[in-house]
Amino acid sequence: MRTSPYKIFIVLIALMFISSVVEAKGDDFNSVVKMIEQFYGVKHEGIPFLAKAGMKVATTAARIKGGDARRLAEAGSIKLAVFENQNFDGDFTKFRTSLNEALNTTWIPLIQTLSASTQEQNYIFLREAGDKFNVLVITIGEREATVVQVTLSRKNLALLMKDPEGTGKSITQEATIIDQE
Amino acid sequence: MKTTEPSAVAPGKSSKPSTLITPLLAVLLILSVAFVTKAQDSRIQLSSLDHLAAKASQTVDVNIDERLVKIAARAFSDKDIDEKKIKDLLTGVKGVYVKSFEFETDGQYSPADVESIRSQLRGPGWSRLVGVTSKKDGNVEVYLLFQGEQVAGLAVLHTDNRELTVVNIVGPVDLDKLANLEGQLGIPDLEIERKPKTKSN
Repeated sequence: MRTSPYKIFIVLIALMFISSVVEAKGDDFNSVVKMIEQFYGVKHEGIPFLAKAGMKVATTAARIKGGDARRLAEAGSIKLAVFENQNFDGDFTKFRTSLNEALNTTWIPLIQTLSASTQEQNYIFLREAGDKFNVLVITIGEREATVVQVTLSRKNLALLMKDPEGTGKSITQEATIIDQE
Repeated sequence: MKTTEPSAVAPGKSSKPSTLITPLLAVLLILSVAFVTKAQDSRIQLSSLDHLAAKASQTVDVNIDERLVKIAARAFSDKDIDEKKIKDLLTGVKGVYVKSFEFETDGQYSPADVESIRSQLRGPGWSRLVGVTSKKDGNVEVYLLFQGEQVAGLAVLHTDNRELTVVNIVGPVDLDKLANLEGQLGIPDLEIERKPKTKSN
């Protein structure tokens, strides 16, 4: 029995679509980190830093739980990459275009702020993750940058939607404060 | 006597797939074009302003499309008074788009930049509301898109020597709704006030 070209065509299209979605959704966090490294010729902090940060997550979480500060990210959901004391010289409008093109399949851009005078760039993307939400916050300054991915509850997503800039900064602070303790 | 016409279809193969694909694709294309046209009637194109980001001291680009509006509807609680208010305001809204530029010196954007937005707002269905002012410095223009008696979209153009802001809400919206959404969802606080209820084209 021969398979009709029509069926083959449909199956091929379906496979192409599924594979592109899976690839894009696979690890966009690492893709964004790599994109920053390649575009600006910089390197993010290595594994020792991240391991140290990971160890401090537990203490920070405990401190926040007992204190007044509100913890935004769901426990254990933080992915963080930090770039320190490096030059982020480059056309940020081109970087922005590349970033949006890379993420537009699986992430939804919420807010983007740029400054030609300070060279600061802030991007917030989000996507659904079951009954919760993944949020990707990218902050690039003249000498440093951070990429943070967290999972938010519905309640904390509402905070982000109400005040995207303020809550986006809080998410980055929450993730990076770990190293400053 | 039986004659056969030359055929491109090899023996044992059916011509059904190719005859099906063409009309199917045509129908899909027509449907998708019609859907996009309908959905984007009141969405104005802001990409002509993107080049200003390279010289603006502050650029804010808010992009709440229909997917995000649906997510917001899930995120905002009916139990929280403030959240319910925003949720109600977003009912029927299909998108909220903001582009805002602040400059350190005068004259960084051109009349052509503003015209690229105004020209869209002179299109069919759009009406400028008169008697609208802002507590902020500069000039504020508010436009509504009417589909029959229904408002299908709103656009605000705020221009100042060192500032250019465009807010576009797609869907049923009015000034009161906009006033309530200002300062939320990344929408700038333009402090818009309406004086007399007059409409002109």
